[in-house]
Amino acid sequence: MSHAAAQAYLHTRVSVMSTRLFGPGELAELIELSLTELAERFGLTALTDDQLTNRGKSRAVAQAVVQILLSELTILARPVTATERALLMAWGRKYALFNLKSLIRGKLYDLDQREIRENLYDLPPSVRLSHQELFRAENVLELLRQLEQGPHALIARQAREAYEQRREPFTLEAAIDQRYYAGLARQVMQFHDTDLQPLQHLVGTLLDRENVQCLLRFRFAYRLSPSETFYQLVPSSRLLHRDRLLELVNLETFERVLEALPAPLDALLAGAANLMDVQHRLHSYMAAEAQRVLGHSPSGVARALAYLILRESQLRALFALTQGQLLELPSHLMEVAVGLTDPVCPTGVAAFA
Amino acid sequence: MLRPTPMKQVRLLVLTEELPRASLALAETESFHPDPRPPAESALANLPGRGYRELYQQARTRLDKIAKLAPLPAEPEIEAVRVVGTEELTELNQWLGEVWAEAFRLEEQLRHLDEAERSIKEQESALANFANLNIDLKMLRTKTRFLDFYVGSVPRENVRQLEGAVGLAKHLLFTYMTIGDHAHVIIVGPTGGKEQAQLGSVLNAAGFQALPIPQSLDSEPKEIQRQLELRRQGLGEERGTLRQRVAAWAQANEARRLEAQRTLVLAEPFVTLDPSIRSAGHLACLCGWVPAREVAGLEARLKDSLALPFQLDARDPRPDERALVPTVAVKSRLLAPFSMLVRQYGIPKYGEVDPTPLFALTFLLMFGAMFGDLGQGAVIAGAAWHYRSKLGRFALFGLLAGASSMVFGLLYGSVFGFEHVLPALWMSPLHDPILMLKIALAWGVLFLTLACLLAIYNRAVVGNWEGALLGHHGVVNLVFYLALIWGGVRLATLGAFGTLPALLVVLALGALAVHSWREQKAPAGEKALVVFIETLETVIGYISNSLSFLRVAAFSLNHVALSIAVFTLAGMMGPMGHWITVVLGNVFILVLEGGIVMIQVLRLEFYEGFARYFSGDGYEFAPLRLRHRVKEGAHPNDPSRLEKTTP
Repeated sequence: MSHAAAQAYLHTRVSVMSTRLFGPGELAELIELSLTELAERFGLTALTDDQLTNRGKSRAVAQAVVQILLSELTILARPVTATERALLMAWGRKYALFNLKSLIRGKLYDLDQREIRENLYDLPPSVRLSHQELFRAENVLELLRQLEQGPHALIARQAREAYEQRREPFTLEAAIDQRYYAGLARQVMQFHDTDLQPLQHLVGTLLDRENVQCLLRFRFAYRLSPSETFYQLVPSSRLLHRDRLLELVNLETFERVLEALPAPLDALLAGAANLMDVQHRLHSYMAAEAQRVLGHSPSGVARALAYLILRESQLRALFALTQGQLLELPSHLMEVAVGLTDPVCPTGVAAFA
Repeated sequence: MLRPTPMKQVRLLVLTEELPRASLALAETESFHPDPRPPAESALANLPGRGYRELYQQARTRLDKIAKLAPLPAEPEIEAVRVVGTEELTELNQWLGEVWAEAFRLEEQLRHLDEAERSIKEQESALANFANLNIDLKMLRTKTRFLDFYVGSVPRENVRQLEGAVGLAKHLLFTYMTIGDHAHVIIVGPTGGKEQAQLGSVLNAAGFQALPIPQSLDSEPKEIQRQLELRRQGLGEERGTLRQRVAAWAQANEARRLEAQRTLVLAEPFVTLDPSIRSAGHLACLCGWVPAREVAGLEARLKDSLALPFQLDARDPRPDERALVPTVAVKSRLLAPFSMLVRQYGIPKYGEVDPTPLFALTFLLMFGAMFGDLGQGAVIAGAAWHYRSKLGRFALFGLLAGASSMVFGLLYGSVFGFEHVLPALWMSPLHDPILMLKIALAWGVLFLTLACLLAIYNRAVVGNWEGALLGHHGVVNLVFYLALIWGGVRLATLGAFGTLPALLVVLALGALAVHSWREQKAPAGEKALVVFIETLETVIGYISNSLSFLRVAAFSLNHVALSIAVFTLAGMMGPMGHWITVVLGNVFILVLEGGIVMIQVLRLEFYEGFARYFSGDGYEFAPLRLRHRVKEGAHPNDPSRLEKTTP
């Protein structure tokens, strides 16, 4: 297939797939549906399986949602070039890293093997780590030593050294996340011409969102120093570039950080009282930016990535809905969970505790 | 040999407590291929072996990990076959856990020695670099009243981020050297203050490894080098001591580890069978596929081995199960290397003709015909014989290909390209190229006809009559092809295609077009377009596929032509140059043309042959077996080896 034909095919694929995204108001309609109706509509048969406990149902739905997303990722990654595929796969690799974190936590807290296995996602071969070998590791040190033999050698070595010095998962997980986002940013720089700008915009927005959330959480909830916080962030090529992050981490209060953010983040987050509110607004912002790229970008790969970001967000909302139904939560809480209404939380320092 | 080994679906009902013993008996017969499908009876829903499997897998993993430090033979010798109970497996797993913990500690010590050695290398590099710096290096070793120093290495990709982070802690970062993925840095900042306390965690997060500044940095460089060398020797001695400890430790527990390996080999069949076992209360059921001729032997073995009653039912595979039935590979030493090549394409589906014998015969014929040379064939055969230990089963392939080349070399009268040394038993290809091309074309027609007949047989044997008649390369296609060839021959010899061949061609194409039209579910216009293209493809396909075999003749001619070119070049040289050119030319022909001919023959086999009649989507018969060596003097299938003890 020629490059032009492959691009045309990818654009068509993305357009066809984007009809699966929820339309305006559809999420609100879904809140009204019962568990059986949700199960029928989305093929989530586990929800109606009487043999399963609520926990079992929840796990089965989480697995089904991830499988839907990653099977779509696999389809989109098929007709593209090696560089484009590498970017899409790098994005999807976060689920392998979720599994890695679950494995590390499981080994760290000496959990039962069955319990660890139940918390792992079943992933397609293109994305997954060599789980079987890692799963057979009997402690964190062995797990990281094994990981050092593969493509994640650098991250594993750093994580092992961090673990040997401070036996707690935060440093490890922060290192894994930082590597993931840095890798994604690096992948974008491999592109040229029509793909580069929209991808920088999209991945830049993603990094900006993560940077604002991490900066506020690390500085004001975990009380880390500016230098510790800065090290965990990944400079974006869009709004929160390196110098700006250096300025922001040095600010002493939550409000001053929000005020000092560049446009349009300053207006977007003006008056946000707590981290949950910030997350909620950034989530909507990310969705709007991804929707814009999906609707108007000339780059097939940028549209594919935008679609995956939106689809992931909506599938997460669907998962939240099923959780809410399983726990029989009132509808106003479910509306908050899926982002239809603003959360009402206590403000000030207590909000971060 | 072309027909598949008939298989039976067997169902064994045993008491759950007899399962491990039944598994061992089945493994010993090496004739039972497990069928993991759940049974039709809903009552048989339990999976009795899950706990056992998890225990086995953990124990096996531990033993494999230990074996990396203290190797064991791949397949142990087993004297008596016995049942391994859950309690024994639990105890073994626990012991292996303890041994693995010791092994891991020893491995970690070895790794730390590696890291220490790497550190010495880095110090040597750093030393060479420090020598060029115009500062008082002793200052780097200790903190001063006002300044704090950190010297060490970080992964290169962390440097930029770390630079910003240490800057926030009022420190400066200076990169003085880069080796591989690591950058060597000096970080300098004011002593004391809260920033200094924060810096530690940032450096940890960045994977900073402090580099000890040599105490004697102000000494002579030779003295420093000597001290580093002494440290390296010390590490070498430490490594030697550790290796001795490892060897002593491995020897101390070798007997028990070997016993553990035997126990796990005996436990493996039950674990392998686990997905195929279902139970209800005390009754367990397991299903599988067994060659029909082995069923009686299997039943006899179970009678000998099991202490309690059991029931074994055998039946023919149902038509809907054919796709699941495994295929027994052709067992022939002569065909083994060809079988390996066939498996690169796929496994024959049950009922399908195994193409290995036909592939072997046609491959050798075509290879010899395209690369016929007595001397070069002898070189191929000789090389295969010389490297037989490295080539394994593939050595026979080289021997046969070389022999085929030698036979055709005798027919062509060619030895190392010399055409007049040996009298040709038939003729040199270049004497009558047109005859060679005609023979190649006739061979192609025969090959394609045979491929179509096999395709028809493969469909008919599974009851797919419509496919056999009207499908790709079915009866109607074959009628069309043979009529086309008949007409073509008439046209070439008599000057007219002939009415009957033309009528057969038109009728066959018409039948195919009608069939294609009826098969499609699309608007009339689209149907017409598809029918037109498919008909055109049928005509062009068969003609081009037949012409494709002209390469058999073309390469035989090419071989002679290349030899002539080599001798022409050699003729321009002096006596020494002549022979050097002849030898190098032969090497060139052997390597380049030999390789190309091999690829071309495989292409003809796979594309013109297999693509017509071989689906290759079957399953290989993989019976349950014990992974062990049979002790000398013991018969592998001796029932007395299985002890009749209660698990």
